[in-house]
This record gives sequence, structure tokens and C-alpha cells, in this order.
Amino acid sequence: MSRLVLLALLLCCWPVAESRADTDYRGEQSLWQDAVWSGRVLVDGILTIPAGVTLEIRPGTEVRFTRRDTNGDGIGENEMFIQGVLKVLGTAEQPVRFTSAEADPIPGDWGAINMMVTEEANLLEHCLVEYGYRGFHAHFASASLKNSVFTRNLRGLQFQESTVVMDGCLVENNFNGMQFRNSEVRLSATRVLDNHWGIRCVYSELTMRDCQVTGNLVNGVNLRDSNLDAETLLVAGNRKGIYLQRSHGILQKSRIRDNSEHGILLEDSDVVVVGNLIVGNGRAGVRWQNSLGRLRDNLLAGNGEYALVNEGEGTVDARSNWWGTTEATALATAIRDGDDIAGRGLVDAGQPLTVPPSPPSATLQ
Amino acid sequence: MDLSLRRGLLFFCLWLLVACAPLPRNPSADNLAHMRTLSGVVAGQNVLAGELYMPGDVRVPVGSTLRLRPGTIVYVQPAEGTKIDPEYLSSATELLVRGTLRIEGTARRPVRFIPLSIPEEGEPAWAGITLYDSVGSRIEHAHIEHAETAILTIGSSPEIRGNQLRYNRYGIIAQRASSPLIADNVVEKGEGGIFCWLGSSPQLVGNRVADHVEEGIFVDVSSRPLLQGNQVTGNDLGLVLYDRKLAGDLSGVIGNREDLRLLNLDRGERP
Repeated sequence: MSRLVLLALLLCCWPVAESRADTDYRGEQSLWQDAVWSGRVLVDGILTIPAGVTLEIRPGTEVRFTRRDTNGDGIGENEMFIQGVLKVLGTAEQPVRFTSAEADPIPGDWGAINMMVTEEANLLEHCLVEYGYRGFHAHFASASLKNSVFTRNLRGLQFQESTVVMDGCLVENNFNGMQFRNSEVRLSATRVLDNHWGIRCVYSELTMRDCQVTGNLVNGVNLRDSNLDAETLLVAGNRKGIYLQRSHGILQKSRIRDNSEHGILLEDSDVVVVGNLIVGNGRAGVRWQNSLGRLRDNLLAGNGEYALVNEGEGTVDARSNWWGTTEATALATAIRDGDDIAGRGLVDAGQPLTVPPSPPSATLQ
Repeated sequence: MDLSLRRGLLFFCLWLLVACAPLPRNPSADNLAHMRTLSGVVAGQNVLAGELYMPGDVRVPVGSTLRLRPGTIVYVQPAEGTKIDPEYLSSATELLVRGTLRIEGTARRPVRFIPLSIPEEGEPAWAGITLYDSVGSRIEHAHIEHAETAILTIGSSPEIRGNQLRYNRYGIIAQRASSPLIADNVVEKGEGGIFCWLGSSPQLVGNRVADHVEEGIFVDVSSRPLLQGNQVTGNDLGLVLYDRKLAGDLSGVIGNREDLRLLNLDRGERP
């Protein structure tokens, strides 16, 4: 008898509501206490996780969102709105999936995993996020995203005023990859592939290590009024590779290759470009427009029209690079500057390397 | 008077009529307030004519059609700020077509896109027209100026014929599995004329591509256009491509600083 009383007491006091299978949330609802999800969860409305509440999602859970488009703009509005804490604990064997509930899903079927002014660090591990408007959206939030996939969303990820760390993630085949403003973002071992915009940010701090940005149809990496600290990247096969506007930073030990337009395009920026392989880019390896900084110890050869174009009025410090040649006439042909167009600054390509520097690590190839 | 002389005079008179037709001026704020607005999601089958005001981004969704009748004038409001909504591609004002666009201008009554202000220092005033996985689109006798890219095709194969594209950063870009027919257009006075990028195969026939600061026509290593009877002149680099066989007859590629620039795939990674 006492055991039964104890069990009854335990059940009454159990602080977490656990939903195991086929749980539906319809209309506008809130979770009023900590919850654990597993199995299949349907969100047919807007589900709020308020401040003070933690939602934990267990391995193998599938969260589906129905499509509701009240204003006829073609974009679904159902979503999760999180002001508390989200912990998504997928595993490699049993990832957690956020997806559309529609029979023929399309990008934009549902809104977002929407983090808004969350109170502590959120975690998404081994997730698949697909068919959202903004797959993952953080505003005044901090989050750690690990080993997760964002695909077939209109925008894979978007952050404002947030701190986000991404490790081992894949952002692939979204209309736009990721965009952020006024945020601090660290990307490691993350791949951004085959979107229109790959990565775009304004007023942000972006750190990238061992990342791959390939096949994006507009720009691979585009920073405006931001700071970039990038090392050991592969940026290839985009229209423009890396495009910095009014930005600062360092780009080193990276492979910037085979982008259709420019490998690196700098506008009104201040950037140190050191020890990179910059080859096979269509219009120019580097286009340098009214920018400061220097190019040093790069392998800058085999680009389309030019290795380096100086579009500004100042001199570009491009000493000690490998240009594929040390012969003066061939070197002059690879560079477009004030020697070719009146009013433009010169390029100081002094002390050219006589042998190509060792290429950066090819682990991402 | 013999027949050919009469015909010549007739053409001259017609040309005079077109050339002397008054160009539209920017309307006042009051006029704009009374115009039909072209903005947001334009769903369904829409046929528009007359003067239109485009205050922001326009999206024609999958399955919808926007037709602009001869003589239509679209006044485009340049955007401020850097924001791009997830379903668009540019921070500038853009016309994004995922359905079908029919611009039905004629030589005498073109469809004009007129930005309401032009930024200084040659910056584009608006993004231009983007056709994204668009089916059945046709752009004829449009006048498009001061755009980032007058016409951008992504996964789309429209007919682009008889247009005048001037003072744009890029005139026409064909990207990713686009095979547009680009015929009899005038593409002039921008940074670059026509670009074939990332696996496109457009047909460029009988265009005049002139007076660009950089390239007239640029073909990247992954694209396979058909080039036929184009007049490419007055550009810095006339025709830029990797595969000489794609250049075809070069008789119209003249008067550029450098008429033909053949690129090579030698990486130069070895001394």
C-alpha cells in the first residue's frame, strides 16, 4: 500500500511532461512546464515555449509542421517560438527531424525554429531542419548547433543580435544559406553548399575554421561592415567567392578557386590575405577596390582575366606572392592597375616568389 | 521616286517618330499616390498597362503570370537599407519571377522601367528582373536602366528579344541550367554586357553589346552558349571565354580594346 502511495506521489510531483508519440499542438499554444518530446510531434499552429520552460527533444523525434498561409503570400506561418530553452539531443544514428507535414512539401511550408530573447544557451545536435521559411532563427539569443543539416528552406539560418556557434553542420540547397546581423558567429567544419547566397552578414563578427563554401549562385561569403577571421577554408565554384564591403579581417591558408566571377572582391575594406591558394577564378583572382591591407605569400595564378585588379586609387601591397611567373611582361599582363588605366593606383608586386608556396591543407577538397 | 528611296524615307520618318517621342519624366509624389501599385506577391493571372508604381520588391509566384502591355511604364522606387527577406535575392528593389513574365513591348511602344532616383558614383538604383525557374517567360522591347542586373535568368529559358538595356552593372546574366534565347537586344554602357555563368547555355543571336567598362560577353568554363551574329564593340574586352570553338564567327567582334581574350585552365601551380 505504501508503495502505491509513493508511486502516486511521484506521478503527481513529476515536473516534466513527456510526450512519446503522435502529440499534436493545434492553434496557438504554450508549454507551461518543462517538457520532453520523443516520437512524432505535430505542430498545427504556433507553439510557444515561454521563459522559464525547457523543451528537450530526444533522439529520433520527428517534429512536423502543417502549412498555414493566412495572407496568401505563399509562406507558411506555423512555427515554434522559443523564449525558454531548447535542447535538441539527436544522435548520428537517431537524428531529430523538423519538417513539413505536407504530402508534397516545398521550402517555406512552415515558419522557423524561432529563438527570441532566450535566457540561456540553446543546443541543437544532430538535427535535420527542412522546408522552413527560416529554418533556424535567433533574435537576441545564443545557441550551439552541432552536426546538423539545414536544407530545402527558403533561408537555412538567420540570426540578429545573437551569439551562435556552429560545428560540423551542413547548410545545403536552401534558397539562401545563412544571413545574420549584429551577431557573433563561429563556424567550424561547416559546409555551405549550393544555395544562392551562401553566407551573408552585416555588422557582425564572423570566425571560420575548416569550412567549405561551394556552389552558391550569388556569393559564397559576403560581409558588410563586419569583421572576418577565416582560416583553412575551401571557397570554390560560387559566382563570387569572398566579397567584403567596408569590412576588416584576415583570410589565410585557404583555397579560393574556380569561382566564376571573382575569387576575392574587396570594397572599402582592410584585409590581410596570407598564404592562400587563389586559382582558376573567372574574371579575377582578387579585385581590390579602395581597400587597405596586404596580399602576401599567396599562390595567385591561373585565374581568368587577371590575377589582381586594382580598382582604387591607392597602391596595393602585393609583394612576395607566386604569380605563376617571374617574367616581367607576363606579370604585368596578370595585373590590371594604374599602368593600364589612368587614375588607378598601382600594384606593388615586388619580390615575387620564384617557386609556388606550399598549398594550404587539402583536407576539405 | 523609286521604291527603295520611298521605303528609305518611310523608315526614316518612322525612326523620327520614335526618336522624337517625349521620354517620360519622373512623376510627382501626388501622381505616384494615384498610380496602380505593383508590389509584394502578385499572384494569379494579371495583365497590366499604363503607369505603374513599384515601391518595393515584387514576386510572381509559381503558377502565376504577370503581363505588361505595350507602352507600360513602371516607376521603380530604389530601396534603402541592406535587408533581404528570405524569399528574395537582393537588398535592392527587385522583380522576382518564379512563375511567368510576359513583357509585351513593341518597337514603338516599349515597356519602360524607370528608377525614381539614380544613386551617385554609378551604384545601381535597383536589382532588375530575375527569372527563377520561370516557365514560358518572354521579355520583348523593354527598356531597363540603372539595374544591378537588367535581366538575370536562373534555371530559366525565356525569350529575351529587342530590348534596350543601358547603364546597368550587368546587362544579362544566364546562370545554372538557363538556356534563354537572347536576340536582337542592345546592351550598352554598363560594367559588363552578357555573362554566361555556372552551367548555362543561352543562344546569343544578333545582339549589339557595346561600350562596357569591362567585358562585352563573358563565358565561364562551365557554360556552353551559342554565339551568332553579335556585334560586340567598344568594350574593354570584347569576348572572353575558355573554349575558342564557342566563339564562332568573330567578324562582329571588333573595336574593343582587346577583341578576344582566351582564358586557360593552367593553374600555374608549378614554376
